[in-house]
Amino acid sequence: MTDQPDFLAQFSNALVARADAAKNAVVAIRLSHGRHITGMVWRSDIVVASEQSLPQKDEFEVVAAGGAVLTAKLAGRDPSTNIAMLRLATPLAAPSFVPGEARTGAVALVTGADGLGGASARLGLINLAGAEWHSMRGGLIDRRIVLDVDLAHREEGGPVFDASGACLGMSTFGPRGQVIAIPTATLERIVPQLAKDGHIARGWLGVALHAVAVPDALRETADQSSGLMVMSVVEAGPAAQAGIVAGDIILSVDGTSTHRMRRIGRLFGPDSIGRKAEIRLIRSGQVIAVQTTIAERRAA
Amino acid sequence: MSEAAIRLEPAPRLRVVVCAAESSRRSALGRVVAEAGHLVVDVQDAADVVLADGEVPRDESRPVVMLGGADRDRPGMLPRQADAGQIDAAIRAVAAGLIVRVPEATESGFGAMGETDAQALLTPRELDVLAALAEGMTNKAIARRLSISLHTVKFHLESLFRKLGARTRTEAVVKAAERRRRETINL
Repeated sequence: MTDQPDFLAQFSNALVARADAAKNAVVAIRLSHGRHITGMVWRSDIVVASEQSLPQKDEFEVVAAGGAVLTAKLAGRDPSTNIAMLRLATPLAAPSFVPGEARTGAVALVTGADGLGGASARLGLINLAGAEWHSMRGGLIDRRIVLDVDLAHREEGGPVFDASGACLGMSTFGPRGQVIAIPTATLERIVPQLAKDGHIARGWLGVALHAVAVPDALRETADQSSGLMVMSVVEAGPAAQAGIVAGDIILSVDGTSTHRMRRIGRLFGPDSIGRKAEIRLIRSGQVIAVQTTIAERRAA
Repeated sequence: MSEAAIRLEPAPRLRVVVCAAESSRRSALGRVVAEAGHLVVDVQDAADVVLADGEVPRDESRPVVMLGGADRDRPGMLPRQADAGQIDAAIRAVAAGLIVRVPEATESGFGAMGETDAQALLTPRELDVLAALAEGMTNKAIARRLSISLHTVKFHLESLFRKLGARTRTEAVVKAAERRRRETINL
């Protein structure tokens, strides 16, 4: 044998060390029937998890490193960024997460909780690191990070590390089983707000909208080919108070065309609350304008 | 008889149990099963497949084709408004040990705000036609409800199928529902 270092063994040993260290970064959040999901130990008394997979409950049992079972209370949830926050009754020794920058092709170590106080690990590449995006619920996610790993449901919500050990974000499922990460930057932005208010303030009109094509006969008057049709109106919400009814087709809000939905989402950030808005819409073949005041979204 | 001739024999008639809470639904599904050439049998009889509308007995161990419902572990999963062709295909597939899923019914995750291509957006009138389709209405009934001609109904249907990339009425309803689920925004 030669004295050459065996790179494969070194690589493997390095991963083993990282996976072992990850034990302190994860907890198992117990669900019913012996199942669990993973939470990230964000601060000594704060655990973050994937909002979409966390049951609507106020109190959870979590299994920390070594197998200690602790109580955690729900402190806030934000479906728009898929971040939920739990507060631990007993603080843990928290790891410090150094934020990392996702790059396409970089190695990613995806960790989860095994439910017994240990960690599970998966290795893959960052399949795609892209620009910021808006979720279906209108939340801003700082980067698109797609991972080329499989993920078990019990591992969802665990930290994703890069080769230097920096934290790229929290693992979660995108559409069609795609595994993505909610970037550390998004966690850093949302968690303090959840800690303070328990939710993320967003502007609210009280309508459910669906994109439709503007009928041919009205295209010229409307001056656009698509709009957002009102599918339902929340009783006594700002839209209802402004007289908006199901079937109206919203063409613009404060001059911003509804032709692209993403742009509209940006009009309803925390600063929009209390602002007056003019809504241009089609009703019974006529284009009309109504005035409304953007309210604060009620807790989901 | 030669071995080749034996191989060419058609698949045997399948024995199918039909479970549905409403008796009208049960008889309608029974008709679909019988017209597809299968034999409708009682729940306690020996059967190859169970066709269940929404709910199925917990201890049912035979292969089940579910129409709607939340039980996701059954071999056959169809939407409640599946048509006769889909039900027959699912019964045969499940009896043959295969798994049946509608592609659109895959599990959802945390996704981006969807935006349908502008050319594929439906018009308010097409949405009206679609709502009638979802209720299982015939073209004639749709024409009556919307006070339009049969010709216009067909015109809207063609446009709907093209925009949704659907080949059947059921597929159009399922695809539109999936689109609505993905793309409805709450403001």
